[in-house]
Amino acid sequence: MSDEPPRGSTSLPDSVDFPRLFDFYEIQSEDETRIHEFYANLDDGSLTTTECADCGELHFPPRVVCPECTSDDLSYASLPHTGTLHAFSVMRAGAPIGKVDDLPFVVGIVDLDGVDVRLSARIDDAEYDDLTIGDPVTLKVVDIEGPADLERVFYRFVPADADADVDA
Amino acid sequence: MTRNAAIVGGGHTDWGERDATWKDLAQEAGKATFDDVPDVGPPDVEGLFVGAVQPERFAFQSHVAPLVAELLGVEADSMIARTELACASGQAALRYAWLAIAAGQLDTALVIGVEKMNLPDGHDEEMQTSMSNVVDREFDGVNGLNAPTYFSFLGQRHMHEYGTTQEQLAKVAVKNKTHAANNPYAQFRMDIDVDDVLDSYPIAPPLHLFDCSGVTDGAAGLILMSEEKAREVTDEATYITGSGQSCMAGNSVNNVPSFSAWPQATVAAEQAYEQAGIDDPVKELDVAEIHDCFSISEIIEYEDLGWVEKGEGGQFIEDGRSELDGDIAVNPRGGLLGCGHPLGATGVSQALEVHKQFTGRVESARQVPDGPETGLIHNLSGSASVHSVMTLGRDPR
Repeated sequence: MSDEPPRGSTSLPDSVDFPRLFDFYEIQSEDETRIHEFYANLDDGSLTTTECADCGELHFPPRVVCPECTSDDLSYASLPHTGTLHAFSVMRAGAPIGKVDDLPFVVGIVDLDGVDVRLSARIDDAEYDDLTIGDPVTLKVVDIEGPADLERVFYRFVPADADADVDA
Repeated sequence: MTRNAAIVGGGHTDWGERDATWKDLAQEAGKATFDDVPDVGPPDVEGLFVGAVQPERFAFQSHVAPLVAELLGVEADSMIARTELACASGQAALRYAWLAIAAGQLDTALVIGVEKMNLPDGHDEEMQTSMSNVVDREFDGVNGLNAPTYFSFLGQRHMHEYGTTQEQLAKVAVKNKTHAANNPYAQFRMDIDVDDVLDSYPIAPPLHLFDCSGVTDGAAGLILMSEEKAREVTDEATYITGSGQSCMAGNSVNNVPSFSAWPQATVAAEQAYEQAGIDDPVKELDVAEIHDCFSISEIIEYEDLGWVEKGEGGQFIEDGRSELDGDIAVNPRGGLLGCGHPLGATGVSQALEVHKQFTGRVESARQVPDGPETGLIHNLSGSASVHSVMTLGRDPR
C-alpha cells in the first residue's frame, strides 16, 4: 500500500450576502438603472411609465427606447392608480427565496382604468375566495426593507373597498 | 435549395428526481441515442445542438455545448451551440439542427436536451427562484408569479370567457398521466380519475396539483441526418416536414396578446402546416405531442393549433377526440403532465416519441393504432409568449 497522501482542509464562510437580484427587486438608483425615474416617481407616490415623444406610444414596463418607432425621446406620464382585476389566483406553495413567509398571497392581473396598460401585481388585504373578475382595485406603494441597505419601493394593489381600512 | 432532414433515432434517460448530476444525465442520453443508431457514432457528428435552460442556476455551469461534446466524444467540427428558449429549448435545438442540414451546412447532427432541476434537500426555494425569471423578472417575477400562478390566470380566463369547466381540465390530466403509466421513463405514472385531480391540492386555483407538470431531472437525444445520409443508415427515418415559430413581440404581462388565447400558436402552426402541405390538421395528423405544462394549456392548444373552434377546447377533450383512438392521439407519451418537464429535454423527447410511434417501438398500451404516419410537436415557452410547432412525417415533403 502506498503512503497516505498529505491531508489538509479548506474552509468556506458560513453565509454570504444575498446574491444580487435574487430578491427580484432591481437596484433602483440612478447609477444602476436608466428607468430610475419610474422608481423615484413611485417613491413619491405616483405610478408612471414612459411615453414616446415621437409616436405617442405609451409603454409598460417603462423603456429607454420606444419599441414602436425606436425613438429614445421618452418622457414619464402618469398612470391611473385605479383598475380592475382581469384575473387572479393565490400562491400557496413554491415561493422563491425570501417570500416563503408571505405564503399564501394573492396575485393578479390588473387592467388600469382608462389606459391600455395591464400589469401583474400582488393584491394585498384580500382573500382569494372574496374576489371576482372585474373587482376594482387601487394602488398601494410598499417600501422594500432589506436585505441590503438600499432604498427601494414597489407597487401592489388592494381591493378598492378595502382602501379605507388601509388608510385608517 | 433546402434539403430534407430526418430523425434516424434517439434515446432517453429515466425522468424524475434523479440521483445524478447534469453531466451524468447528458452522458446517459448520449449513450442511449448512439445505442439506438448503431451505424452512427460520435466521430460522425458534424453539428451538436444542446437544449438547456438553466444549467447556470441548477448546475452552476455555462458553455454547456462544448462540455457535452467532450463528454460524448463528439468533435462537432461544423456547428456547435446551446439553445435557450425556456420550455421550448429542446425544440429550438432540433429546429436549428434541421436548418443546418436543410441549408447544406452539415449532414449529421446530434441534438441533446438536458435539465437538472431538483436541487439537494433544503434548496427548493433556490430552484423556485430560478424558475421565476423566465417571465420579466423585474416587473412580473417580482410579484411572485411562477408557472402555476401564471397559468392559473389562463385557466380562470378561459373558464370565464368560454365556460370551460374544472372537470374538462381534469380530464386532460387524467388522460396524460394515464398514458404516462405505460411509459417506463415517465415521472408521474398514475392510475387516476377526475375526482383524484379535483381532490388534489389547489396549488393555484383553478389549477390543482395534478393539473401541473413537475420538477424533473432528465435528458433525451436525437440524431438528425440529411435525407441522403439517413437512407444509408435506416429505412425507418422520420422526416421534418414543417417548422414554425411566432413571438408577436410580447413577453411581459402587458404585452402578451391574451390570457385566454395564443394567436402565436396559430401563426406557428399555419407556417408548419403550409410547409408540410397539411390542409386539415384534424384529419391529417395522426399523433401530436403538445405542451401540456398545465391542463389548461392543452385545451387552449386544441383551439389555437386550429383543430377546433375557439372556446371548444374543453368539449374536444370531453368528447374523447384527443384520446389514443380519437381524431388526433394527443400526448401518448404522457405529456409534460405525465412525463414531467425537464425544460431543455421536453421538445427532444416529444420528437423522439413521434418517431417511435411511427416505427411501432413504444409500449403497446400507448401505441397509437393503425400505423400513424403524420405527427406534430408543439412547445410554448416562458409566459407562453413564444410558440414553436414542428410537423413530422414518415415520408419527406
